[in-house]
Amino acid sequence: MIKKIITSSPAETYQFGKNLANKLKGGETMGLIGNLGSGKTTLVKGLAKGLGIKQTITSPTFVLMKVYKTKHKTIKQLVHVDCYRVPGIELETIGLSDYLNQPDTVVAIEWAEKIPKKFKMTIKLQFKTKNKSNERFIKLIKLL
Amino acid sequence: MMILGIETSCDETSVAILNYGSRQIKLAAHLISSQAKLHAPWGGVVPELAARRHTEVIIPLLDQALKKAGLTSSDIDLIAVTAGPGLITALQVGVETARALALVWKKPLIGVNHIAGHLVSPFLNINNWKLINNKSTWPAVALVISGGHTEIHLLNKAGDWHLLGRTLDDAVGEAFDKTAKLLKLPYPGGPQVAKLAKIGNPQAFVFPRPMLNKPKYDFSFAGLKTAVLYTLQKFSPSKITTKLKADICASFQAAATEVLVLKTLKAAQDYKVKTIIVAGGVAANKELKQRFISNTKSLQTINHLLFPNTKYTGDNAAMIALAGGIEAKKQGLKNFKNGWSKIQAQANWELW
Repeated sequence: MIKKIITSSPAETYQFGKNLANKLKGGETMGLIGNLGSGKTTLVKGLAKGLGIKQTITSPTFVLMKVYKTKHKTIKQLVHVDCYRVPGIELETIGLSDYLNQPDTVVAIEWAEKIPKKFKMTIKLQFKTKNKSNERFIKLIKLL
Repeated sequence: MMILGIETSCDETSVAILNYGSRQIKLAAHLISSQAKLHAPWGGVVPELAARRHTEVIIPLLDQALKKAGLTSSDIDLIAVTAGPGLITALQVGVETARALALVWKKPLIGVNHIAGHLVSPFLNINNWKLINNKSTWPAVALVISGGHTEIHLLNKAGDWHLLGRTLDDAVGEAFDKTAKLLKLPYPGGPQVAKLAKIGNPQAFVFPRPMLNKPKYDFSFAGLKTAVLYTLQKFSPSKITTKLKADICASFQAAATEVLVLKTLKAAQDYKVKTIIVAGGVAANKELKQRFISNTKSLQTINHLLFPNTKYTGDNAAMIALAGGIEAKKQGLKNFKNGWSKIQAQANWELW
């Protein structure tokens, strides 16, 4: 399944992420692909809000992976991962494998194009920008 | 009280031995083994590499520190170790080493918050230490800025802190590093940006001053980095000269430092504090320091503007030993007697 949407502001990208949370069941691995400033973290912020996370979602670039407890019927935690600096294989050593494909966990991976193929994504989100405008083209591809 | 401090939260392995007295403190030994070169090819710290290197160097460093101080294990009264926040694999090396030492040597052990260490780092300077129990010092606001953190705290006294605001997305050091990466400057990027900024025109580009007009003390640096990206995209690769890069660096640095300074001053005035503390890796930025000095000059309510010595701006065990000492004084040493059985590494340990 492929879905394409255009958001015209960070607030809309946030809202798209928030709505997306309602459609998740748990066990999903989401790969977010797009340049710096294309809206990946903004979408994850919305997703977190939709899952009932109260904490502020901050960039995981420095620590590579952050785990947030959710308030949701079936999903207990959101894992926010960033492969901007480090190839995905390194993330295994900090315990990423423990969170993948767990029915009570959703994993959102930014810069997912850098992650090895053996980590199977279930949802792919591609972000494109057009020059300086606030518009973002987001393509959602459901893989499994 | 002789305190052994251990820090391994990120890419510096550090061991310190601090002679802690209420009137005077003295570093008997302070060693830092930096891994910056090890991680340079990756453009940032790689957790597994960091942990392996910590494991290799921590015991030799410990031996060296004791030798340098002319002490043996029996002279140590307290062990203080960074327990978080940081990279979990890296933190564990320091924490597990400290636990083993505490158990075998039968010493009290305290797990120290890394940010708490940065908050007290200016007091490692002996002249500043005299201010620690002085009425002219407190309350204070403290800005902690590094590659992983950007936070403002209110301190009623040393060891009594409250978070006022923090970054909602990227840390300021991260924005420096990402800007460097966009400009294809070598790692670590922060100092490179600062260096190029010196020959650039800070008014060449007008970058956003995020959150400056918001009433709270939170920060946001993700948009600033994106603005740098958009600016660069306007030029074809052949037009991206050193002069252009320098102008971008200077303009970026001007925007980032202005937000940091004005937000901190706002907190200082709102809470009627007597001291401003600036700590963490980015506190080594000279332009930022200059701005703080010139902006606080006219403020008669501010008695002290405290920066750590440059050797204590980055991660170090001296500040961890000092923060551990302050906490142990507050709670009593016996509270930490069986510390080895209680503490564990916490990657996301929040200060408040």
